[in-house]
Amino acid sequence: MESQSTGGAATKVAAPPAPPSAQLVAANLTKHYGAVTAVDDVSFYCLPGEVHALVGENGAGKSTVAKMLAGAVSPTTGTITAGGVELNTGRIRDARLAGVSCAFQELALVQDWTVAENLALPDGSPLRGFSQRGATRAAEALLAELDLPHIDPRAQVRTLTLADRQLVEIARAIGAKPKLLILDEASSALAPPGVAWLFSRIRELTAVGTSVIYVSHRLKELAEIADRGTVLRDGRVAGEFSRGKWTENQLISMMAGREASRAFPPAPPLSVSERPAVLDVDNLIADGINGISLSIAPGEILGIGGLQGHGQAELLRALYGAIPATADQWSIDGHSVKHLTPERAVRLGAGYVPEDRKTEGLALEMGVGENLLAPWFRTAQLGGTPRLAREKPWMAGVLGSLSVRTRGPLEKSGALSGGNQQKLVFGRWLDRDRRLILLHDPTRGIDVRAKQELYTAIMGLSAAGVGVLWFSTEVEELVHVCHRVVVLYEGRVADELSGARLTAEAVVGAAVGSASQSKEQL
Amino acid sequence: MTTATAPSDRSGISRLWNTTGITRLRREGAVAPITAFLAFFLVYVIINPGLLTRFQLQTAGNLVVPLALAALGQLIIVLVGGIDISIGAIMSLANVVFATAMVSLPVPLAILAGIAAGLACGLFNGYLVAYLRLPAIAVTLASAFIIGSISREVMDRPGGGITPEFYLATSGELLPYLPISIFWLAIIATGMWFVLQRTALGRHIYGVGSNIDSVAAAGLNAKRAQLAAFALSSVVVSLGAIMLAGSTITGDPRSGDSYLLSSIAAVALAGASFTGGRGSIIGTILAACTLGLVGSLLFFAGINSYWQYVISALIVISVVGIPVIWKRLYLALRKAHA
Repeated sequence: MESQSTGGAATKVAAPPAPPSAQLVAANLTKHYGAVTAVDDVSFYCLPGEVHALVGENGAGKSTVAKMLAGAVSPTTGTITAGGVELNTGRIRDARLAGVSCAFQELALVQDWTVAENLALPDGSPLRGFSQRGATRAAEALLAELDLPHIDPRAQVRTLTLADRQLVEIARAIGAKPKLLILDEASSALAPPGVAWLFSRIRELTAVGTSVIYVSHRLKELAEIADRGTVLRDGRVAGEFSRGKWTENQLISMMAGREASRAFPPAPPLSVSERPAVLDVDNLIADGINGISLSIAPGEILGIGGLQGHGQAELLRALYGAIPATADQWSIDGHSVKHLTPERAVRLGAGYVPEDRKTEGLALEMGVGENLLAPWFRTAQLGGTPRLAREKPWMAGVLGSLSVRTRGPLEKSGALSGGNQQKLVFGRWLDRDRRLILLHDPTRGIDVRAKQELYTAIMGLSAAGVGVLWFSTEVEELVHVCHRVVVLYEGRVADELSGARLTAEAVVGAAVGSASQSKEQL
Repeated sequence: MTTATAPSDRSGISRLWNTTGITRLRREGAVAPITAFLAFFLVYVIINPGLLTRFQLQTAGNLVVPLALAALGQLIIVLVGGIDISIGAIMSLANVVFATAMVSLPVPLAILAGIAAGLACGLFNGYLVAYLRLPAIAVTLASAFIIGSISREVMDRPGGGITPEFYLATSGELLPYLPISIFWLAIIATGMWFVLQRTALGRHIYGVGSNIDSVAAAGLNAKRAQLAAFALSSVVVSLGAIMLAGSTITGDPRSGDSYLLSSIAAVALAGASFTGGRGSIIGTILAACTLGLVGSLLFFAGINSYWQYVISALIVISVVGIPVIWKRLYLALRKAHA
């Protein structure tokens, strides 16, 4: 396919000649996994003090490239040269010794450990000494230096929010004092202030000559931070771009190989329904939620906004019965609710797409089909192959309508790419007579095309009269796809926005508690 | 954003409860076994005040120290997310190799021979588990049979050349009221604590059990850490076998057999996580002491010793279960209060 370049710097380049001063040169990288070619002849370079972006859809190969640079995967052919040292061993340790450090997309922290223990993990030989006190002191110093005072080095990583965990992961990568820092979707869980924090750290690093490889889906971020970039498509270089000389549509068409628009689909018009509200809850109280009242009409898409950690995750879990909660009055699709459990929530017509598809959403060792069917297995029902055969038409319909790229219901779900896994978690609720769908940031860290497909499917649900509760960290998404947005602050509803008041500025303003001038920075 | 902060009341108990050391014990699950041991010890002394005599302390020490060392060996394997079924067999082999070597070799060389035999078993297991990625339970089950046969080949009936001097050096008294076996246990356990808590290797061992991918992604050699864990474990177990040989003054090819299940029980009682990454040394030692003394407590209480296993089982279940129930109660109470 031709790239649809319309002048400017966004042109397809075969192999850029790397200047001798380059901090990193990746030349003709190719990676085969069995018969599959994940990355095919990718070349680029990064100068000292430069931010080089890697852009592409999921499955385009940018994570594989990032892993090769970090030493987690060794290239089949091709060379990586960092600071004059050739790195092809596929050993993270070698890359680290050459001054390359990476904040991984799949967070590489030990959940049971404290922040300090995690920060101390990478360095040194096995026989070097270790002490809790020393590690805590070093962690305190590092977190203070990186302007992350709200993270307690003694806190267990498990107890942190996803955003804070990501900050710790980034802090660890920066703390290694790298000459080349790789940020693989490092901003995917961060709210806007977190992204701003990340950018000021990147600027500090580039000011002292550190190179940064920035892998991201968020085009707005690229406009701000990327000096140059390489667009990948289907494992190949689809084009390059440099600061100020590209438009979003150009990049998207390079990524997708077609003119795709980033436009959000409009929410379908709300029809007046005879049916009762799909969700009606008054003064909901749970751990982290201090009295929230909500009502969702059939077909309505209600957005939940706010900074991470202000009760959004807890709200969705409580409404699905996954954590204990009480309310003065609570009904799902007209049925009154007292003590909700997930099982009962499903019976009443609710569905839930949780925060982390890998740990909460899927049984990674099980097949695609069994994961789709997970909520629908009852104890005394048929399982195994006969069940899969019986459900085949439904599964084929779901996989087809969401364009899940899989070899079929028997493929291990862990083998799918992130976007396709997310489609599985979502797809299990399709065509199953749902009344209410709870979505926890379903488009986090998935590519443009998968996002569009999810949008279409969610709009379809809404048009069919399903109520949708949609928590998103992307403000634009909330503003464009929701009928109404409720912004949470410290476990309460800070503001409710709809119609002309529903703007990005209003959502962000309410999220930072503009009335109360929060001390919260990130 | 906000992490859990200390409770509002700043009483002395709460402050003590939240000091770094106690927090670590809590996180390692050691509070319950330590409490259980103290309670058990109290009951024991009430039923049998004679424990606090020199002779009985010495006997009790000799009884629990081999078990404690076997349990510590098991703990290390459990920390990396495995389980060692061959621990009893390794113990038997180290025991008979040591006893046989004592016939002709000087004591230090005999000790080294015993340790070397155990270490060879540990490296064999560790290599298969870490580098060939075989499941630990299958590998150690198979090696238990192999090692068991080798032990019987080395010595087919109890015997060996253990001297009364060696008995005194391992199982006598260091000072009045201080059995020397406890002293050796303390030395070994401190060494093990140092490796696990004060070296990066120890962090790697804990890390491999918690999340092997994280450790690999941090650029560490996860396989080497696993192998090191198996090696360290086998050395500790061999030392237990030598202590056992000293206290019984014989080598016996079946001496280790009974320690397999007891070592697993002690690790469970210590609150370690069998998926790896969590477990306490002090908790394991005290758990082993508790389980090791159940039998003699029943003897002194005049109860049929067949009940020993039932009592042990009840101790394990209640120590593991009470914190869970307590936490639920606490949460329910707090909610009712709010």
